[in-house]
Amino acid sequence: MTPSLLTGLLPEIWLGLLFTLLLVLDLAWKEERSTALGMVAAAGLLPVFPVLAWQAGMGSHELLGGMYRLDLLALFFKGIFTAAAILVLLMTRELDKTIPRGHGEFYLLILAATFGMFLAASSAHFVMLFVALELISITFYVLTTYLQNNVNSLEAGMKYLVLGSLASGILLYGIAFIYGATGSMQLSRIQALYSAGAPLPVPLLFGLFLVIAGLLFKAAAVPFHFWVPDVYQGAPTPVTAFLSVGSKSAGFLVMFRVIQELFIGQAAQWAPLLAWLAALTILYGNLGAIPQRNIKRLMGYSSIGHAGYLLIGIAVASRLGSTAVNFYLASYLFTNLAVFLVIAAFSKVTGSDEIKAYAGLSKRSPFLAAAMFIALLSLAGVPPMAGFFGKFLLLMGAVSEGYIALALVGAAAVVVSLYYYLQIVYTMYADKPEDLSPIRVSLPVRLALWVCLAAMLGLGIWQGPLLHLSLAAISGS
Amino acid sequence: MSLPPVGLPHLIGLSGILFVIGLVGVLTRRNILLILLSLELILNAANLAFVAFSRAHGDLSGQIMVFFVMIVAAAEVTVGLAITVLLSRLAGKLNADEMRNLKW
Repeated sequence: MTPSLLTGLLPEIWLGLLFTLLLVLDLAWKEERSTALGMVAAAGLLPVFPVLAWQAGMGSHELLGGMYRLDLLALFFKGIFTAAAILVLLMTRELDKTIPRGHGEFYLLILAATFGMFLAASSAHFVMLFVALELISITFYVLTTYLQNNVNSLEAGMKYLVLGSLASGILLYGIAFIYGATGSMQLSRIQALYSAGAPLPVPLLFGLFLVIAGLLFKAAAVPFHFWVPDVYQGAPTPVTAFLSVGSKSAGFLVMFRVIQELFIGQAAQWAPLLAWLAALTILYGNLGAIPQRNIKRLMGYSSIGHAGYLLIGIAVASRLGSTAVNFYLASYLFTNLAVFLVIAAFSKVTGSDEIKAYAGLSKRSPFLAAAMFIALLSLAGVPPMAGFFGKFLLLMGAVSEGYIALALVGAAAVVVSLYYYLQIVYTMYADKPEDLSPIRVSLPVRLALWVCLAAMLGLGIWQGPLLHLSLAAISGS
Repeated sequence: MSLPPVGLPHLIGLSGILFVIGLVGVLTRRNILLILLSLELILNAANLAFVAFSRAHGDLSGQIMVFFVMIVAAAEVTVGLAITVLLSRLAGKLNADEMRNLKW
């Protein structure tokens, strides 16, 4: 069935309506009822899933004069973004006391960022792509600085803004050169210009590398990783969580679109660079995490390391690699959000993000400690958790394309990551707590954590359905 | 004496110069306002390249892109200035070197 404008853009239209509804409710309701607003937003996002499933039967189409694209890859990623947004909205309730004012707008901004991610997933034209990426970035600048009486938050936001704007400027300059070399900004038209194996002209290659640089920033990969630890530490915890799954996924999705789909035939010209960067990113992230004392900062370095693993999947430029990236991002979503849910619930009660403060968490809240333990194992890639299977697929992809050294670096870094992840576990289980008071976990967080845990174990043991979806998303596009 | 007609190489050359000035400005300037200014310079360098390529190709989409970039640049600088105001009000900082609360 051919989608009309209404049926094709239904998820975006729904998000827009939800946004408007929240805007009105925010004005109508008193500030005290703002937590209910978050629940409305989370509940409002649930219907997006059936809509996406329904759209999956429509096939690939271009709408809005070639600006907007409806295909399985876009739908797959929209599912990831929606799940991330719902979990982050549940997490945001924990933040209520620390935000000085404007609770309602916080939920609105999260929806705005989700809207930007939806558009980025469906963009078929560089204009749409750039505007969507900027919508995500600018929303995140505001979200990062949301703790307005906290210097760390402001400082993190300022750094993020300066480096993020620099990256989007570089991306834009790259787009200009791609446009100059091809005469078009429509992705499908550029794709048709170069047959497999034909070398790219120098201006186009120059533009492509600038675009890659801009996207590496979004994905938090070396050499554009400088902002990550600072922003992760300074930003409010739910924002950090959304940044680490939503923004990163968007970066990799766009890499799929503009690097792999357009120039897969010229992989020999860009893949070696990405393979080197993948190795460096893995090493930097995992080695940098070792001395960290602040758990959010540690998660920042860990996020750099994971970006490195995901880059392997882009660099190998094969179906296996791309499927692995999709699988990895979906499992990383639940794993990473579980960690941040624990961090948010913990710092709400104790007000601390230091790893020292986690001493004896197993006695204060066995549930939080166990959830953290499982999530960290999944992050490190221990079977039977979802993280293991994702890493396994990526390394298998590297080996099957002949990147043996890269796969070895990846495997060695798993050991390093186990070291610093297990140190947190050691602190939680073996160290004596200074304060024995139990930590209460609110119902939404408990619910979200159960979802994450079920997904982590479920996807690790029954990989079939998600693997099937990941593969379909690649093949159908 | 007559000047040679302005062609694509001149325009792209100028946009390249603007881009480099902006890039160097972001990396070497320490005042936040000047950094924001340099960022605008980078975006405008890209705008100039878009318009130049648009003329060379006889295709209007490059010029349309410029409008979008202008809007985005305005939004970006608005947020940037807002953060600058908050920072200077709370901590009296306008110098990037002083932002060392988080290890840089």
